[in-house]
Amino acid sequence: MKKNDEFYIGYVDEVGTETKTTLKRFVLYSLITLVVVGFLFSFFQETAVNSSFDFNEPTKVSGIYHETPYPMLRVQLADDIYKDILLLGFGKFGPNQYLNAIKSENGSLVNKALTIEGQLIYYNGQTLLEIDDSQKITLSGSVNRNEIKKPSSIGQIELEGEIVDPKCYFGVMKPGFGKIHRSCAALCISGGIPPVLVATNEQETDDYFLLTNLKGEPIHQDILPFIGQPAKLLGELSELGDWKVLKIDVDRIEKLGKASSIY
Amino acid sequence: MGLDYKLVLWNKHKKNYDKLIALGMVLYLIVFFVLSLVTNAEMTAETIIIRAFGSLAIILLHLILVIGPLTRLNPNYLPILYNRRHLGVSMFLAALIHGVFSTINFHTLGSKNPIESIFTSNMDYGSLTNFPFQVLGFLALLILFVMASTSHDFFLKNLSPKIWKRLHMLVYLAYSLIVLHVFLGAFQQETSPFAIGVLCLGFVLITGLHLTAAFKEGKIDSFKASKDSDGWLEVCTTGEIEESRAKIFTVEGERIAVFKNEGKLSAIHNVCKHQGGPLGEGKIVDGCITCPWHGYQYLPHNGQSPPPFTEKVKTYQLKVVNGFVYVNPNAYEEGTEVTPISC
Repeated sequence: MKKNDEFYIGYVDEVGTETKTTLKRFVLYSLITLVVVGFLFSFFQETAVNSSFDFNEPTKVSGIYHETPYPMLRVQLADDIYKDILLLGFGKFGPNQYLNAIKSENGSLVNKALTIEGQLIYYNGQTLLEIDDSQKITLSGSVNRNEIKKPSSIGQIELEGEIVDPKCYFGVMKPGFGKIHRSCAALCISGGIPPVLVATNEQETDDYFLLTNLKGEPIHQDILPFIGQPAKLLGELSELGDWKVLKIDVDRIEKLGKASSIY
Repeated sequence: MGLDYKLVLWNKHKKNYDKLIALGMVLYLIVFFVLSLVTNAEMTAETIIIRAFGSLAIILLHLILVIGPLTRLNPNYLPILYNRRHLGVSMFLAALIHGVFSTINFHTLGSKNPIESIFTSNMDYGSLTNFPFQVLGFLALLILFVMASTSHDFFLKNLSPKIWKRLHMLVYLAYSLIVLHVFLGAFQQETSPFAIGVLCLGFVLITGLHLTAAFKEGKIDSFKASKDSDGWLEVCTTGEIEESRAKIFTVEGERIAVFKNEGKLSAIHNVCKHQGGPLGEGKIVDGCITCPWHGYQYLPHNGQSPPPFTEKVKTYQLKVVNGFVYVNPNAYEEGTEVTPISC
């Protein structure tokens, strides 16, 4: 068979020698390329942080409910040692839909003892709890004698940082940062998850600030244009257990025009 | 060739082709999953799935896009083209898994419809670095869906080869959208020079091969034939055409193929009625001009597929004067009988 006489027809079994050689070489190179590229794409991925989300491993947590302004549970760990656990809802929602069901029957829950069965999320000293069913919230009936008071102001502070949704950032998704999560973060915050400012302090560690409006009320929709945008925020700082709360005027948030280091 | 529509007209080559596609995909996924789990144990399963299938789809798309020019440059690659549609559908399935998992992960269980969320959760359309890149991936997936769902010969026949071909040329738009999707998305946070380098190299390879093939075909299109007093065009000498093969010439903006069969010359329109394959790069097998892409056949003397098939192409009149071949540029109707001329 002359070199140029070889002609492949798909429905004819016979294949020319030179065509066979070309095909074998092509298949071999393609398979090698797939393996090499698979190695390069997977081996050189950024390492995910060691945050935790106890997916499908619910935990019962008991504590005193409070809203400052975001729903939290204050859990006593030891004498005079407490942890404030930020409450979240299932999916990209806040916890209110589940809490409101209990509130409609029992009135305000503030300063009452609750036991909630949910999935814990924890990273870098912060703990959050995902609630997925109002039936998993039980009211013990007792009222806290040491009423949890609204945190008092420490003073005005100016901070540079980025606003994130705490659910993904603290562990539900790994990685829960990067540009891929920008739109997801916006959806989470618009669904009622509290916005959190991540600011790096002088010790090069991150501080976390729950953001509220100047009246100390939750903010969601108004903050969306600033998510994942390095920005300067001026606000009134207060501390609440593990969390810091920053009252801000959204209209005075100053975008720094820098590339995001989180999203 | 087939008279009726079946999901797949299986044959030995198609089976082997699909086995190799499956082997390649499984091999890639194993490498990706094992290395991700070993080197990045904190990463969640859905993240690995999204990344593994997304990157697999991109690699398969590169493979698909190099096949066309490779076959134009070297006919020995034609068997890879033969079943390219299966590779395309496999690539779409990988892209679909990537798209569905990404949408579930990032856009479901929220206060918006997931599709609406893709378009509106990030409204930074004016920014390059913050651009909502997921929109680009969604649009690319839509194109791939349309292509995969119309890949069967039923749609080819009913949409008409011309429209079908135009529709499937959208793969280049999909490729552009995917490259932007990756560079404005994943590569904003995964900055490994190796990963970025792979895509850059892929772009250079695809562009380079297409330009080389276009340059080769440009030579055919730039061919200027001299006209005789009757308006016939002198295209070559009889000796330049090998037995059972053809030479392609562009005449009045149309490519025609002049075949030599048992020492006699016939000319037909170069474009196969099936998928637009270059008939002039085919061969005469059992007396029939056979398309190099999928083996569709036409009789040299009338441009008709042998019964019971019904495809027809235009035919042209030839004459030989002093060993030179002349073509009448005015084509006959499709399927018109023209007596082959002796060399």
